[in-house]
Amino acid sequence: MSQITVDRKLCDNHGQCAIAAPKVFSMNDEGVLEFEEIFDDALLDEVEEAIDVCPVQAIFVKD
Amino acid sequence: MSVETAPNQLNVPYLDISDPSFAMQSEELRNAREASWYAKTNYGIAVLRYEEVSKLLKSPKLIQGSAKWPAHNGVHGGLFFDWWTKNLLVLEGEDHHRIRRLLNPAFSPRLIKDLVPRFQALANELIDEFIDSGSCEFIGDFAEPYATRVLTILLGIPESEWPTIARLASTIGLALGVTFKQDLDKVDAAVAELYDYAEDLIKDRQANPGEDFVSRLVLASRDGDKLNDEELRNALVLLIFGGMDTTRNQLGLAMQSFMRNPEQWELLSARPELGAKAVEEVMRINPTVTWVTREAVEDFTYQGLEIAAGTTVHLFTQASGTDPLAFPNPELDLLGEHPAHYGFGGGVHHCLGHFVARADMSEALPLLAGRLGNPHLTGGDEWLPDSGNTGPIRLPIGFTKRI
Repeated sequence: MSQITVDRKLCDNHGQCAIAAPKVFSMNDEGVLEFEEIFDDALLDEVEEAIDVCPVQAIFVKD
Repeated sequence: MSVETAPNQLNVPYLDISDPSFAMQSEELRNAREASWYAKTNYGIAVLRYEEVSKLLKSPKLIQGSAKWPAHNGVHGGLFFDWWTKNLLVLEGEDHHRIRRLLNPAFSPRLIKDLVPRFQALANELIDEFIDSGSCEFIGDFAEPYATRVLTILLGIPESEWPTIARLASTIGLALGVTFKQDLDKVDAAVAELYDYAEDLIKDRQANPGEDFVSRLVLASRDGDKLNDEELRNALVLLIFGGMDTTRNQLGLAMQSFMRNPEQWELLSARPELGAKAVEEVMRINPTVTWVTREAVEDFTYQGLEIAAGTTVHLFTQASGTDPLAFPNPELDLLGEHPAHYGFGGGVHHCLGHFVARADMSEALPLLAGRLGNPHLTGGDEWLPDSGNTGPIRLPIGFTKRI
């Protein structure tokens, strides 16, 4: 299992992470990011894509 | 209330955004933004302030508003029409997300970083050509070859072929202009030529895959899914269509902004590590994409304004990036801490190629500042109108050679 942190000061709710890794990130009806803080390592590739694709580079992972 | 029936509609400003003399950086627009967060236009509403642009740009109630662009111009078929209706810019929902997921890895910032030394070498090579003369036509001598050769580097094709790519990109770009219908035959011929080019490139990389950008697209897969040949071709056309004019124009606008702020040019020259900040700042105050178009998918109310399904909503980038409510000191300031600009759009349609554009402009601007002292206009500059994508067509400048 790994843990995600999002820098909410940087996050601008573009939602690219929710496209890249929809099992972990989603946008609510208000267009605001929600995510699973702890995720299964089987999803690591997806999460790394979400980290890469974030326009403001606000997503981080720690083991 | 709706836009048409708002009781206070007399107080809502009106902007004729298709008037060729309409100016984003004008008293008219500043007054409108001070009076109201939105304006009525001859074609939908325009959102003028930062907070509202930020919110609506990413609102799930709005979709990309350009899908009907060909139809609005009386174009209902042909190669451009077919490409437009299938490209990432106008796709929505899972159709969009699937393609985006498959394209994203090739545009990873980690991979783009490897190209930085080539961007630097290219910028210096172009500057070498004109540095001794003390003057240049900045668009023809730098911005256009730089923007186009960056694409050839990315695509892994000989840099000497850049004039062909520039010509095709500019011709297809006519599709976004007001004379689209008249130019349709030319546009479709350019799409056909670019299709042939892209198809050859794809076949070559399918036969001989490497580590390069096109190979990454060809090999990209996700959950057993891959881009088919048509999707690959459409993506390469989008890259060239979306990557050339925008970067060329933005470099020209950057030069304009720095010529107006010579002390900031000196700062960039002395501190080249501010290159990335320079890109953010010029895109905030002087973006080539002057507005981002969205369309309401359902009736909804925002800040007391009823926005009916189908309403076109123009999100003004420059007006939002200089809104005094969000930027108490809106002037160009490489050392300032400012909220993010929306020069790359935002939400699910956020510019796909922004890491490339940011990386190549971040290298070009400090190299230019380091070598060209006191750049200034020498007359004869020509400009695109402010409606849609703007920038200089010609930008003759003089300067003092530093190195």
